[in-house]
Amino acid sequence: MAWGTRSEMDQQRRYARTRTLLAFFGLILLVLAARLLYLQVFRYDENLRLSEKNRMRMRTIVAERGRIYDRFGEPLVRNRASWQVMITRADMTNPDSLKERLLSLRFADGAPVFDSALVSVRFEQSRWRNKYGSLRVYEDAPPEVVALVTERADDLPGVSVEVESRREYIHGTLGTHVFGYIAPIDEKELASPEFEGYPNSARVGKKGLEASYEHWLRGRDGLQYVEVDAFGRKIGLLKSMPNAEAVSGNSLVLSMDLELQKTAEEAFPDSLKGAVVALDPRNGEILAMVSSPRLESNIFSLDSLSRKKGWQNIALDSARPLNNRAVVGVYPPGSTFKPFTALAGLRKGAITETSKPFQPCRGAFRFGKRVQHCWHLAGHGPVNVVDALRVSCNVFFYQLGLAIGMEPINEAAAMFGLGNKTGVDLEYEHPGALIDSVEYERRYRKRLGWRWSRGQILNLAIGQGELVTPLQLANAYGALVRGDTLWRPHLMQAIVSPAERVVARYGKRPLHPVSMTPEEHETILKGLEAVTSAAGGTGHRMAVPGVRVAAKTGSAENPHGDKTHAWVAAAAPIEDARIAVAVVMENAGHGGGVAGPVAGAVLRKFFELEKLRGGPDARP
Amino acid sequence: MLDREFLERRVDALFVVLVLLLSAFGVLLVFSATNDPDVALSQNLWFKQALYVVAGLLCAVVVALLPRRIFSALTWPLYFLSLGLLLYVAMGGGSVDEAKGAARWIKLPGFNLQPSEVAKVAYLLVLSRYLSGREVRLENLFRAGLGLVTLRPLWRRRHGADWEMGLVPLFCVPFLLILKQPDLSTALVFMAMTLTMFFWSGMPLRELFLLVSPGISLVTSLHMAAWVVFIVALLAVLLRTRLQLWISAAILVANLFAGGMLAGAAWNSLEDHQRSRLETFVDPSRDDRGAGYQVRQSFVAIGSGGLLGKGFLEGSQTNLDFLPEEHTDFIFGVLGEQFGFVGCAGALGLFFALLSRILDVAARSRDPFGNFVVVGAAAIIGFHVAVNVAMTIGLMPVTGLPLPFLSYGGTFMMTVMCLCGLVAHVRFHEGEV
Repeated sequence: MAWGTRSEMDQQRRYARTRTLLAFFGLILLVLAARLLYLQVFRYDENLRLSEKNRMRMRTIVAERGRIYDRFGEPLVRNRASWQVMITRADMTNPDSLKERLLSLRFADGAPVFDSALVSVRFEQSRWRNKYGSLRVYEDAPPEVVALVTERADDLPGVSVEVESRREYIHGTLGTHVFGYIAPIDEKELASPEFEGYPNSARVGKKGLEASYEHWLRGRDGLQYVEVDAFGRKIGLLKSMPNAEAVSGNSLVLSMDLELQKTAEEAFPDSLKGAVVALDPRNGEILAMVSSPRLESNIFSLDSLSRKKGWQNIALDSARPLNNRAVVGVYPPGSTFKPFTALAGLRKGAITETSKPFQPCRGAFRFGKRVQHCWHLAGHGPVNVVDALRVSCNVFFYQLGLAIGMEPINEAAAMFGLGNKTGVDLEYEHPGALIDSVEYERRYRKRLGWRWSRGQILNLAIGQGELVTPLQLANAYGALVRGDTLWRPHLMQAIVSPAERVVARYGKRPLHPVSMTPEEHETILKGLEAVTSAAGGTGHRMAVPGVRVAAKTGSAENPHGDKTHAWVAAAAPIEDARIAVAVVMENAGHGGGVAGPVAGAVLRKFFELEKLRGGPDARP
Repeated sequence: MLDREFLERRVDALFVVLVLLLSAFGVLLVFSATNDPDVALSQNLWFKQALYVVAGLLCAVVVALLPRRIFSALTWPLYFLSLGLLLYVAMGGGSVDEAKGAARWIKLPGFNLQPSEVAKVAYLLVLSRYLSGREVRLENLFRAGLGLVTLRPLWRRRHGADWEMGLVPLFCVPFLLILKQPDLSTALVFMAMTLTMFFWSGMPLRELFLLVSPGISLVTSLHMAAWVVFIVALLAVLLRTRLQLWISAAILVANLFAGGMLAGAAWNSLEDHQRSRLETFVDPSRDDRGAGYQVRQSFVAIGSGGLLGKGFLEGSQTNLDFLPEEHTDFIFGVLGEQFGFVGCAGALGLFFALLSRILDVAARSRDPFGNFVVVGAAAIIGFHVAVNVAMTIGLMPVTGLPLPFLSYGGTFMMTVMCLCGLVAHVRFHEGEV
């Protein structure tokens, strides 16, 4: 029987253990039941209230986008309040009669408030979409519409007015190529990792600084759980839900000087295409940047109908107003390239300041069977390099080019950043191009009969054939006159948090060291100063009283029109250059005559402002 | 042979009724949460759930009727097969469960295989086989562990922990593989199952407490006062239990380590979704719009049910529209809103009754393998119920464990029905061994 007793003992143990396990499980269930009792009986009222039909709404609070200021804190781009009239299906008592009532709303003069086609479409859509979602029936509503709708709120259950902030470019078209614009995010952007987490209703920077600094400007959207009444009006915030505050975006402080920018904008005629760039050659800070034809960025903040119309005008315009010609536009530099050819000649020892090693200019130069003219058909006679720069003698530079070849010329030009992107903080920058035999063959391989020959040097030596952007040229002249370092040009000076704390600063970033002997530097400066100061100089319109200005004019051959592109580039004062300017005007004629006054106006304003503000780098 | 008396002896009618009742209730709840008349019947989730129930019941019957020797033959192959599948997933072979950011599935034609579900059953069988007739003691476990670490068994076999040597890898391999997925909650199911079966084998509660104490230490370390109370209790138990000195010391060190320094390190090693769930649990309002939102919605849904509920099909579409996983992990919220406290308590009562019937089978069964299997099955089901309900009412972090019978889902339904089949099997074949 021993076996039996043992088995019985086991059985008793098993029963005891089952009871323990069951008791343990029961205990847990009791705790759960107690909690259920608390939730369902003691907190019943509160929970019921929250759960009641469509009482809770989740709404996204779009973060306020960061603003843009000039270097002295003058606002350039800000946000304005924009009212939207919305409908929400779930809050309507009788959708059909509501639609009638909305459409019957009239202004004092009897004009209907709402667009009946749009309202009909929205009501139809609300039938199929999520009934708690809101649809817009009036975008960017003027104050009188807002007043009308809010007065009749009790009459219009399901209609609400929401406010959102829209971008405002304060000075109209001023600087808008620099600022760019924002517009609704598109499919491609939504899919790209760069825009991860963006809602599909987001508006994002498309061009200019709005695009370059999108992630700084944007901020973080907030989330609100609100309790609403039967009319869809907000009763209060549900404190117990995970609400999140919207965090405003960071603001940009630019290197741009609003006053100087205004001057440049005014000096550049609206009727012409082209660009102006002014920058500080000591550090690459861009002081002014104009591109023409102008762009009206504010149209992107209007209601969708006006937006579409405005956009069509811009997109179909053959003058391409969207392009920022200061960084995207490339032009042959023309005679503004000559200082670089001259510098290469000095460095190679082919010329000195006073030597006149070449045939004198008789208005034309024969190379093989070709005859190339000087712009001054009467001829300049025998000239040295300083005179050649002053009078912009082509024949001198033809011969200099032939004597030294393209390699040293391009080397000198590259030292000042020509033919390479400057790395400015704007998108779609064009690198431009410097041409030698290899580059020429690569570029024009496909064109019949276009073969490299030494004859090309004649054109390239006087800047017909290279491609540069206005920004590159301004930067190059600044470095050429200062003679120390080529800096990376930039617009952003600092990024400032909503709490006004500086979160990032754009330090000086060198692009390239400049190496010249003092003699070479001196010679080039003499030539460039003579352009504005001496008799017969082509750039006398850029003279500034009391300031030594180095400048060069240029007229670039233009395959697309009868008139040449007018160029000027300048930097001043020669002993300590604090501003460099480049101006290009498409199909405008000769540089000194048309572009010169624009650059002159900018230069004069700059020094006037300096005096007004109490010296270089003073704050107003 | 199929006479009435025979059936009464071999089939627990109440158990079968409870299983059917719970399954039917589950289909009704899924119906109320997801019914969409615009969609074809075969595409409606409640219809699919009903199909899963039928398939599961068939599976349970087959398991119940299979001869015992087939189980004996299949136990080890099934275990190693499940390890292979887990390893395959761990090596990156599986599909990523996007919602949870973890790789847990293997896509097969027609259905998704979840290796951890297979492993639950396989491990249950193998552990039952291994433990049958044996008594696990804490000291032996520690000796076995030490032996494994120092490789002592390779040349000396003097300590008294020979068979326990196998126990450690038997548990650790699947546990770590699942933990690595990462699927903390399923790994914890393995833990709960193992501890319950250790208890069944005769390990005293004191020793069980000591075994899990580092885990408790880790959890309580979030609260200084609770942790101090816990450590005092631990010391008291350690003194009373009179283990060998080095074992006591090891347990104490492990606890201090878990409570102190390790808390920070473990926090950093958690996966993002686990961390956000834990944070949300501690403070639902600080959340990242995901987990905390679910929990709050779940509270509100359950709480708004009140004592008697809003009634079947009343209200679920209003509030639970907000609830992303209403028909799977948060089905209890659907229940609470429609049937109130009475419905919730009733459901908990059904689960309690089910567990008591299952454990009754274990108590009666003299077959050592059989009653381990039954106890293990009870542990799996009980743990799922407790954790899922606790999670929906905010007593535990959101873990993603479904509620047996009620939650929508084919794989888990199969697992649960398989476990029920095993319980029925033990009862049916009682006395044959």
